Amino acid sequence: MKRAFARSNDSLTAIYEFAEEILAAGNVTDAARFAIHLALEELFVNMVKYNPDAKGDIDIEVTVEDKVTVTLTEYGVPEFDVTVPKEVDIDATLEERTPGGLGVYLIQNLTDSLDYEYGDGRSRVIFTKESGI
Amino acid sequence: MFDIDYDDEGKIVCTGRLDAAQCEKGQAFMDEITESSTLDFVQLDYISSAGLGILLKTQKRLAESGAALRIINVNNHIYDVFHYSGFHAIFDIKAK
Repeated sequence: MKRAFARSNDSLTAIYEFAEEILAAGNVTDAARFAIHLALEELFVNMVKYNPDAKGDIDIEVTVEDKVTVTLTEYGVPEFDVTVPKEVDIDATLEERTPGGLGVYLIQNLTDSLDYEYGDGRSRVIFTKESGI
Repeated sequence: MFDIDYDDEGKIVCTGRLDAAQCEKGQAFMDEITESSTLDFVQLDYISSAGLGILLKTQKRLAESGAALRIINVNNHIYDVFHYSGFHAIFDIKAK
């Protein structure tokens, strides 16, 4: 199932409800649902944050088969590959830690696969998660 | 939906989903905290990196005066996120 969402963090509740309905119908476990909602939010928020001049909606597609596949697509944006490994020093002391940078790190750690496609201003992120974990 | 408020015992109770759309509300509340406090997550279902940022920023500010946040009743999903993020090393965290 696919739906377009306005490019704003105010869309997050609607995105959660959209994805949750599909995941619940597909009997996806609580743990997998939590990870999927988190990765989906982080990816959407990144698109909103880093492409403030983009005008169009962001398309989100969620399918449940033997695994859950989530695709986010936006148009008229520069390339930003979220699969480039992001390291966060999680052993750093409180003084050394800085807020921020955790989003992409969490996406990469919570998804089973994470792919990026770019061409003609179309930016697409696809991630999968086993539905039974 | 996200809510944050003191309970009768002075603990700060967080309820619902702390996502990026709710972080202004969370940050505004946390900015008023000036002493060591306990956050009760018993009714918090979800947190994303925006919420983690609020916690980290507040912990750093409080540490300057020797104070700290303690987080209790954390559900297992949020606990995992804390662990991934290295928060177990910089917060006193108790699982549900």
